[in-house]
Amino acid sequence: MADTFKIVGKSFPRHESIAKVTGQAQYTDDLEIPGMVYGRILRSPYAHATVRQIDKSEAGKVPGVLGILLPQDVPNRPFNCSGNPPSPMLIKDERVLTDHPLYVGDRIAAVAALTKEACAEALERMIVKYQPLPVVLEIEEALREGTPLIHPELFSSNIFKKLESSQGDVERGFAESDYIFEDEFNTPAVQHVAMEPVSCICHYMEDDQLTVWSTSQTPFQERRVLAELLDLPENKVRVVKPIMGGGFGGRQQIHNQHVGAFLSRLVRRPVKIINTREEEMYASVVRHGSVCWLKVGVRKDGRLAAFHAKVYLNAGAYCTHTPIVLGAQSRKFQYRIPHYRYEGYGVYTNGPIGGAMRGYGNPQLTFAREVMMDRIAKKLGIDPLQFRVMNHLGAGETIPCHTFPLRSCAITECVEMGERIRNEIERREASLHKKAKVSEAWGVAFACHTSGPSNNEGMSSSLILVNDDGTVNLLVGSADIGQGCETTLSQIAAQELGIDLKDITVTSGDTFSTPYDTGTFASSQIYVAGNAVCLAAQDLKEKLCVALAACYHTELEMVRHEHDHFMIETGQDKKISLSFKEGVAKVMFGAKGRILAGFSSFKAEESPLPFSVCWAKVAVDKRTRTFSVLHIIQVVDVGTAVNPEVVKGQVEGGISMGLGYALMEQIEMDQRAQKPSSSDLLHYKVPTALDMPEIHVAMARMSYEPTGPFGAKSVGELPVVAVAPAIVNALSIATGEKINFLPLSKVFMPKGRSQIKKESQ
Amino acid sequence: MTLLDFLRDEIGLKGTKKGCDSGQCGACTIIMDGKTINACLVLAIQADGKEILTIEGLSSGGRLHPLQETFVEEGAVQCGFCVPGMILSAKALLDEKKDPSEEEIREALSGNLCRCTGYVKIIKAVQRAAALMRT
Repeated sequence: MADTFKIVGKSFPRHESIAKVTGQAQYTDDLEIPGMVYGRILRSPYAHATVRQIDKSEAGKVPGVLGILLPQDVPNRPFNCSGNPPSPMLIKDERVLTDHPLYVGDRIAAVAALTKEACAEALERMIVKYQPLPVVLEIEEALREGTPLIHPELFSSNIFKKLESSQGDVERGFAESDYIFEDEFNTPAVQHVAMEPVSCICHYMEDDQLTVWSTSQTPFQERRVLAELLDLPENKVRVVKPIMGGGFGGRQQIHNQHVGAFLSRLVRRPVKIINTREEEMYASVVRHGSVCWLKVGVRKDGRLAAFHAKVYLNAGAYCTHTPIVLGAQSRKFQYRIPHYRYEGYGVYTNGPIGGAMRGYGNPQLTFAREVMMDRIAKKLGIDPLQFRVMNHLGAGETIPCHTFPLRSCAITECVEMGERIRNEIERREASLHKKAKVSEAWGVAFACHTSGPSNNEGMSSSLILVNDDGTVNLLVGSADIGQGCETTLSQIAAQELGIDLKDITVTSGDTFSTPYDTGTFASSQIYVAGNAVCLAAQDLKEKLCVALAACYHTELEMVRHEHDHFMIETGQDKKISLSFKEGVAKVMFGAKGRILAGFSSFKAEESPLPFSVCWAKVAVDKRTRTFSVLHIIQVVDVGTAVNPEVVKGQVEGGISMGLGYALMEQIEMDQRAQKPSSSDLLHYKVPTALDMPEIHVAMARMSYEPTGPFGAKSVGELPVVAVAPAIVNALSIATGEKINFLPLSKVFMPKGRSQIKKESQ
Repeated sequence: MTLLDFLRDEIGLKGTKKGCDSGQCGACTIIMDGKTINACLVLAIQADGKEILTIEGLSSGGRLHPLQETFVEEGAVQCGFCVPGMILSAKALLDEKKDPSEEEIREALSGNLCRCTGYVKIIKAVQRAAALMRT
C-alpha cells in the first residue's frame, strides 16, 4: 500500500540525527540558563516511617547553599503525578514533600545551592529523625487480613481500585467447555533504564511565570498539574521538552519538576535537578509487578469458550497511573471469545511506584495468556501457531470491552512471513548446534496493542505556518522522546501537502509555542498526532485553494489539489498548474496578499490495534540449566509503516526490552533491609550487545488502517509484549517444564548466544 | 573532579553524556591516548598531558566521520544519548581492527548500554563504516 505514496512509506533518516552523532544535540542537562543553580532531593531511606524532626541548621551553613525546603514549606495538597488527562479515577494521594514517607525514595526535603558539591554536602548535613513503621512489600502480604493499611486516610483496604469488565457469562462458558485450564503467574517490577536520567530545570521568575525544561512525555499534563500545585494560571506556566534520551513511559508523569519549581520560587534562580542513576532505579517509577490468575475454558475442537482473568498489580505507595493501567490491560484480548471476564486490582504496598511503562499492563496479562495458550494447544494436540490463528479475531469483529470493530488485521500475513523466515533459519542452521547436551526449541506468542489511549482519550492538534518562500514550520504538541515522531509526523505533513520533506521544519512539545496534545503515551504519535497533522495540512490546502481562487478571480470549485499540484481552471479553458511553493508565492504578497496557516483539532474516536507475532528459538543445556536465546523473529501489522526503518528500529528495541524482561530484569527487594537492592546497573542488568540473539523483523505489507493517516497504526509499545511469552514457551518445550514466572534468571542461567555455542562444543 | 564533569562543566563540551556516573552505562566513553575510558571514572587531573578525543572532535571541517555518517544513514540513532560513547567505542575498535567480525563488534560495544535499538542497526552501522574506511 505504502508504495503508492511519495514520502510516506520511505525511510528518510531522522532529522535530528546529525546533531546527535556530533554531540551538538542539547538534552536537558546540557542546557545552561543564566543564574542557574542546582537542586537535590532528600529521600527517605525507609520504606515506611514518620519523620519526627528535621534539623536543617548545619546544612544551611554549607557555603553555597541558597535555600532548603521542608514539608511545611510547600502546599500540603495531595495530587496525582500521572501525565494522563484529568480523571476522577486518578486518586490524589501524594504530596510534593512528606513527613510520612511510604516508600524508599519518598521526597522529604530539598536543597538548592550554587554547586552540585554544595548540594551533596548539604544533604549529608541534614539531620532527620525517623520513626520506622511496619513495611508491606508484596501483593500477597498487602491483601492479608490484619496487614497495616498504606493509606488508611483514604481506603479501608490496601486494594484501592477494582476494575471489572466482562461480556457474556463466564460461568456458562466454563460449563460449556470440554477442558478447563487454571493457573497463576508472576511478573516482576522492572525499570525503564532510559539512558538519560530524569532531568529538569525550573525557573520561577519574579513576575510569577514558571518555565520548566524537562524530560517530559506529556508537557501539557505536566503544565496542568504544576499550575494547580503552584496556584498559577496555565498561561503563566511554560513546559519545554528539550531533546530526550528515552522515556518508555517513565516520563509520563511529574518526577522532580514540582520540587524544582518550589525551590526556584524560594531562591529566585533557575534550579537544575538531575536524578542520579540510583534515584532512577528505586525512586522514580517501575512497571507494576503482578500476580495474574487465569481460568480458560476450551472446546475439544479448539475453540476458546471462556476466559476469566484476575490481575493484581503492585502499585507501590501511590496511585499514580494504576487505574488507567488496569483499564488498558482489560482491552488487549485478541481472540474470539463468547464469555470474557476481567477483574483488575490496584494494590498499595511500600514498594517502588508502579506507573507507566512500555506496554501499560499488557506485558503482564499477555505473558500469562500466551503461556496458557501454548499449554492448551499442547493438551488438544493442535499446533500452537494454528491454535492461535483459528481463534484470532479478524476485521469486522470487536475485541472484548472495546467500542469499535477491527478495521485492519493482517495476522495471517504476519504468520506466513514469520514462518518463511523461520524455515529459512532452520534450513541454514540444520547442521549447527546439534549437540546431544543441548536441546533446542522454537516458541511463539501473539500480541496486540493500541494506537492511542484504548479508552479513546487521545487528542491532538497541529499548526502549520507557511513561510514566504513556501517552506513550512510544523508545530506539534506531541513530544518526540527519542522514537523519531518529529520525522515521521513531518513525512505525513509533506505527503499531504505535496512538498519535499526538507521544506518542513518541525517544533514539538513546548506549551508556549505548540498546540495541545494529550501526550506521548499509549503509542499515540503516528495515529493521534498523525491524524492531527494530516487534518492541519488539509486545512492549509483548502485555505490556499481559497486564496488562489480569489487571486485568479474564479470560483472555489475551479481550484483543485491533485498530484501534489494546485490546478486552477480560469474562465477561458485555461488550466494553470502550480506547485505548493508556486501557489504560496502567488498569494503571499501583492494587493490581496495573505498569510497562510493550517490548523486542526483531532479527537480519537477509535484506537486501532496493531498486531505482532513473535517467535523465539532457545538452546538449553539441561544439566547446567544454562540457556541462550538464539533467534527472535517478530512480524508486525502496523498498517502503513510511515517510515519503515523507524518502525523496524522500534521493533528491534522492543525485542531487546522484552528480552531483558524475560531473562534478567527485576527490581529486587532486600527483605531484611526492606528496601530495593537493585540500585545500580551492576545489580540490575539490561541486555548488552553480547546478550542479544539474532533479530529478524518484518512488517505485514497488506495492512491498511482506514482511520489512520495514510493507513498507519502505531508501533511503540507493541513489540515488547510478545517476546517474553515466546521465549518462555520455547524454553518450556525444550525442557518440558511449566514456567509461571519472570525473569527466567530465577531458576535458569541465561547466556549470550555465542557463549552457549562455545560451551556446547 | 572527574574528567567527565571537567569536560561538561568546566570547558563546556556537553557531547559526552552522564548516564550513571559510575562506569556502568558507557555513555561517557571517550578516547584517551588511543584507549577508550569512562570519563566518569577518571579524575580530570589524571588526564593532564594526555590526548583526549570526545565526540566533538570526531568530525572535521564540516565532514562527518564515516561512523557518524553510517549511524545516521542506518537509523542507528534513536534517543541518541548512548551514541557519542557508542561511536567512540566503535572508533577505538576500528582503529585497531580494520575488519572486525560481528562478534568482535558486539564485544567492543558491550560496555555501552543502549535501551532503544536492540543494537541491531548500531552493529550494521559499525560494519558499514568499517567497509567505508577500508576503501
